[in-house]
Amino acid sequence: MKVYITGACTTKFGELWATSPRRLAGEAVGGALKDAGVGIRRIQALFVGNMLSGMLGGQEHLGAFFAEELGTTAPAFKIEGACASGGLALHNAVNSVLSGQYDTVVVLGVEKMTDHKPEDVATALMGAGSEEERTAGVTFPGLYAILARVHMKEYGTTREELASVAVKNHYHASLNPNAQFHTTVTIEQVVRSPRIADPLRLLDCSPISDGASAVVVTNKKSAHGITVAASAVATDSLGLAQRKSLTQLAATEEAAKKAYVQAKTGPKDIDVAEVHDCFTIAEILAMEDLGFYPKGKAAGAIAAGETRLGTSKHLVVNPSGGLKGCGHPVGATGVKQIVELVDQLRGRAGARQIKEAKIGLAHNVGGSGATAVVHILKK
Amino acid sequence: MLGRGGTIVSWTVIRVPPGGFSSLAPYPVVVVDITGGGRITAQLVDWNESDLAVGRKVRVVVRRISEPSTEGIIPYGIKVKPL
Repeated sequence: MKVYITGACTTKFGELWATSPRRLAGEAVGGALKDAGVGIRRIQALFVGNMLSGMLGGQEHLGAFFAEELGTTAPAFKIEGACASGGLALHNAVNSVLSGQYDTVVVLGVEKMTDHKPEDVATALMGAGSEEERTAGVTFPGLYAILARVHMKEYGTTREELASVAVKNHYHASLNPNAQFHTTVTIEQVVRSPRIADPLRLLDCSPISDGASAVVVTNKKSAHGITVAASAVATDSLGLAQRKSLTQLAATEEAAKKAYVQAKTGPKDIDVAEVHDCFTIAEILAMEDLGFYPKGKAAGAIAAGETRLGTSKHLVVNPSGGLKGCGHPVGATGVKQIVELVDQLRGRAGARQIKEAKIGLAHNVGGSGATAVVHILKK
Repeated sequence: MLGRGGTIVSWTVIRVPPGGFSSLAPYPVVVVDITGGGRITAQLVDWNESDLAVGRKVRVVVRRISEPSTEGIIPYGIKVKPL
């Protein structure tokens, strides 16, 4: 059986103080249903990806919460896997269709973060780490900073190469009307921005964001349907210190291997990738762990413009602007990556359209690499 | 674990801390290979700039972890200090 994505829609990402989670969800799901040409009555299940609603907003039971808002009594589930919640929700939706249980389902990724104090958000996000890490008072920028330092030492990755990831992704975001940031930045601005967790600075970090994204997943082929060629998940230890290596995310590598086998494809065949650049170092790790570059070679390639719109010869990475430029409402991110790929493969990505994009890869990470989700979509 | 020695394998300095840690910031967090086996993530205390280096020897100590909760309970746990 084949599974298709027939509808995809995202809200604008950003500081959306005047918009409630209900309205964000309504806009994203409404847009996806309209795109697919189906009504809410045809939807047999709802999968909600979200991480922080309980800790920040005091609202759990999000399946029923959003089903009520969307006007359905279909089975509804919340899937939580930190910043990979959206990708995991899609994985579960795809499995539910593959199993034959449902024909047509909706995946909603949604997060509301900017109404809360930054230290409360940082504390809530650390729920994705280990108890040892919370005791150490480390934050997610800190955990990725620890990875960055080892990568810099082992492979000679430079401060400027890290910055080049943010420069590229802000440029892409400047072409995306739904992105949080439309300003481009320079290497100089990144390396001189305020220090957050050495060696990472403010402009190495994805922002705190609000937003929602949704897709319709179905076994019914349609003219615009994009095939889900692979949906793979891998899991590693919660804490960094319990991993075998500090220069790779083994879960990414494992999920990617499974995905390439499922899709009967390899890294060389991918035209467009949305990867989990929660911090600049994370995109460098992702490019290596997904098999696009050998270890130690991705940073130089990114700095040379090999994955940037306009200068890339083939693969373009994070045309949406990534988490860095488009914004990172954590539960929505994994679904937004899929919306971007669908837009690219359907040739409707506007100013950031990649010519003749046929195969896309999405890579969504939870925590500092404890969960990795890889999807491959084909036109 | 208490009193054991180890070596810093990576480090960062947290300048934007989570709740309960603001009175301590900025503070280093290090990953330490414990002599004889095991690896931990912990806060470095009693430090100077020169202690922030891969290969620096440290020892595991007991310290207050964060600011007391509203109930007044003071959380204690493991940190590391330079040898």
